[in-house]
Amino acid sequence: MHDPVSTDVLVIGGGAAGAKAALTAHEAGARVTMVVKGFLGKSGCSIFASHLPYYDESTQEKASDRLRYAVRYYNHYLTDQDHVRRMGVYMRTEFHAELERLGVYWLRDEQDRIFATGPRVPTVVVHKQGASGPIIMEKRRREIFARGIPVLEECAATALLTDGGRVVGATIFDYRHGVTFPVAAKTTILATGHSDYLASRSTATREQSADGVAMALRAGAEAANLEMQWWHVSDMAHPRTWMRIHVYPNPLLGTPESSRLYNTRGDVFYEQKTHSPGSSAPYVEQARRLALEVQKGLARWDGGYFSGYDHIPADVVRTYQHQAKVWQKLGLDVGRDRLECGITWHMRQGGLNVDAATMRASLPGLYLAGGIGCHYLGGVGPVSYDGKVAGTCAADEAHGRPAPALPSEQVEAEDRRIFGFLRHADDGCLPIQLKLGIRDVMWELGYVKNERKLVHALQRLQRLRDEELPRMGLQSTSRTWNSGWLDALDVTAMLDATEATVRSALLRKESRGPFYRDDYPVTDNEHWIARVVLWRNGNGWQSRIDPIPTPHLKPEKAREPFFEADY
Amino acid sequence: MDTIRVRIRRFDPETDQAPRYETFEVPRAPEMRVLDVLDYVHETLAQDVAYRWFCGVKKCGTCAVTVNGTPKLACWEPAEAEMTIEPLANLPVVRDLVVERGPCREGLCAIEPLIQRTTEYPGFPEPLSHRAMARAGHLRDCILCLACHAACPVMAEPGTRFAGPAVLVNLAEVALDPRDGADRARIAETAHVFSCVSCYECERVCPAEIPIVRDAIEPLKRLVYRRGIGEGARHARLFLDSVKKHGRVNAPQLVLATQGANREALGRGFRMMARGKVNPVRSLLEGRAGGAEALRKLYEGSEENE
Repeated sequence: MHDPVSTDVLVIGGGAAGAKAALTAHEAGARVTMVVKGFLGKSGCSIFASHLPYYDESTQEKASDRLRYAVRYYNHYLTDQDHVRRMGVYMRTEFHAELERLGVYWLRDEQDRIFATGPRVPTVVVHKQGASGPIIMEKRRREIFARGIPVLEECAATALLTDGGRVVGATIFDYRHGVTFPVAAKTTILATGHSDYLASRSTATREQSADGVAMALRAGAEAANLEMQWWHVSDMAHPRTWMRIHVYPNPLLGTPESSRLYNTRGDVFYEQKTHSPGSSAPYVEQARRLALEVQKGLARWDGGYFSGYDHIPADVVRTYQHQAKVWQKLGLDVGRDRLECGITWHMRQGGLNVDAATMRASLPGLYLAGGIGCHYLGGVGPVSYDGKVAGTCAADEAHGRPAPALPSEQVEAEDRRIFGFLRHADDGCLPIQLKLGIRDVMWELGYVKNERKLVHALQRLQRLRDEELPRMGLQSTSRTWNSGWLDALDVTAMLDATEATVRSALLRKESRGPFYRDDYPVTDNEHWIARVVLWRNGNGWQSRIDPIPTPHLKPEKAREPFFEADY
Repeated sequence: MDTIRVRIRRFDPETDQAPRYETFEVPRAPEMRVLDVLDYVHETLAQDVAYRWFCGVKKCGTCAVTVNGTPKLACWEPAEAEMTIEPLANLPVVRDLVVERGPCREGLCAIEPLIQRTTEYPGFPEPLSHRAMARAGHLRDCILCLACHAACPVMAEPGTRFAGPAVLVNLAEVALDPRDGADRARIAETAHVFSCVSCYECERVCPAEIPIVRDAIEPLKRLVYRRGIGEGARHARLFLDSVKKHGRVNAPQLVLATQGANREALGRGFRMMARGKVNPVRSLLEGRAGGAEALRKLYEGSEENE
């Protein structure tokens, strides 16, 4: 083990939320250390950002459209509505400005006005469609380096350290060099995202294995609504790595036109302007429509249905370069050919339980920023607001606190755990095979859930835990950049996070938004606008249901059949 | 079954004295990319093969490797039937296909890669002309995958001080930004922009199809040239003057003017003369090349355009 690092605020995660949290805490005068499993601004899902919301709330009508979009279509009423309002103020007055000040170019049109699309809930892009995420994150990366904030890259946080229930830092595994070290922190901000690679088909980046959720659960924190899992429907079936490419279902920049989904027979079964005119987040509606096609045998979850722009003039699509280039790279004609699609596990609306006003998690000393929280779905803008709140509050709490002592027993136990994986497999199984096994369990569980399938998934996970995990070993025991060693740690996080997700799904006895149980096929607004709160209690689990207030927007119906709801 | 034969360069610094190659047979999948082949090897045949990627869809820029001698983004390029995959050149190897990106990060930090405003930011949206912003349009597509860095022959020179094409693309992006007020000419000179030999290898391999020489390096060279700082600018000025005066480059005069009559230059001159590469006597005595007058007019025209 290497020497401990001491800091005021520890930020775990290098996406938009973590970056903004680090910058804010640093501005507030705190000593900040960032730990990033991949590279700051390059790993994590912030780089996937394409269209960013443009908060025009100049009229009462526009403001109410915005609230409706965020609360109903984006979060299915499972969000903190006061948080949505506060975040709206940040989005309107600060977000675009702070990035523009940094040099980010919000695309202008021929008249040099901001190029916005969608009359009701407009969105804007950086430079061109499909380019926003990488550019925003590269600028953030430079900003953080320019400030001199220490960033430990290719370093995975593996466990939160606690002292009398208070989080006092984390243990870090530097897989580039094969060493571990603890970080003692007055406050810790978890910003590990909401998009994890937990199913065979997933939009997540390689390193996202739900480490944040798993380590917080192990430290005793509460999770909430982990079961609220979005699937993306119009993602590419082939090649496999391009399952992360999304045939964009919203209108193309400057036009009312968008892609269509076709079943095996070639019939259209989804188009945004027809099937979800009120929503610019049509993903849950796409999934519902696909479920009906699968039921009829006219599509499979992993293929047999198609998406394309062949009903739109090709030159209009070609201005949408990001998508047209995908067709071009495969030798296809975007004006004629359609792409086969499959669903991918995309992101979690739920996460860890959080007080959105302060971004405090349920453990003292622990803050959250971004998609890891259960309060809001995500997005580069909204999670930046989280980063601002978490950075401010975490720096404030750290101010004047003494440096915590490190709980040496926990540090040593975690060290033994990490180095315990560094052994040959002999006749055992390799970590990557276990990862594939866990993803297969969640893929089999899929979109249509019910008690029988959920219990079966739990049994499969338990079997992996009892029979495979103890036999897990590596092919190479070298310490330098040993991805198998990192995979082994990922396996333990994934097992904990998927088990919690399935347990949370068993507790929600209704269907809502992206979450469908065919044994409870009703959206029940009377009982289930609520957080399904779940936490570990020794070797067992405990739970409770916390109702979510709806002060500004209430659903029209108390109950409605899942397939008739539009959110 | 249709298979792909892939030879991967392996190197584990803890157990290997030197790099070695291992060959794998991978079943072909629909539209398979190079990264899908590496994933298959990792998941099925050799769990310990080290390769880096995060996004898999040409956004993070961390999966570039050398495929059959050419640097490519593994997630973007189709798998070939026979592939030799090696780590990117011109960067230290950490393990197998994983390279140390640190040198480029340091090079990037050294150029002060954020715009420096000379006037106060007026608030969102600031007045900006899309035409002015289009000057650096292509350059914003750079995802710092470092394929160009690996392809650049100047980066392969031991002890080179050239910052490399990837860093210069990002320098040009801020230098061409109408909001930027930093002394980009001096920074470009410090980055040794004139070390670029305009071989266009960087453009050939860029997965974002950025015209790196035309849109980044040439504009930076012009900036430095106009400021007249450093050896590179002096050489460029003397080169142009030589062509203007003689109608062609007068090599001996150019060498004498830029490097002076030092021993090294004279020694090299004599060796080249002995092999018939140069004829200084003829060069010094011959008059202006034919068409020199037309050339002078071109000069005047282009200077007016500048």
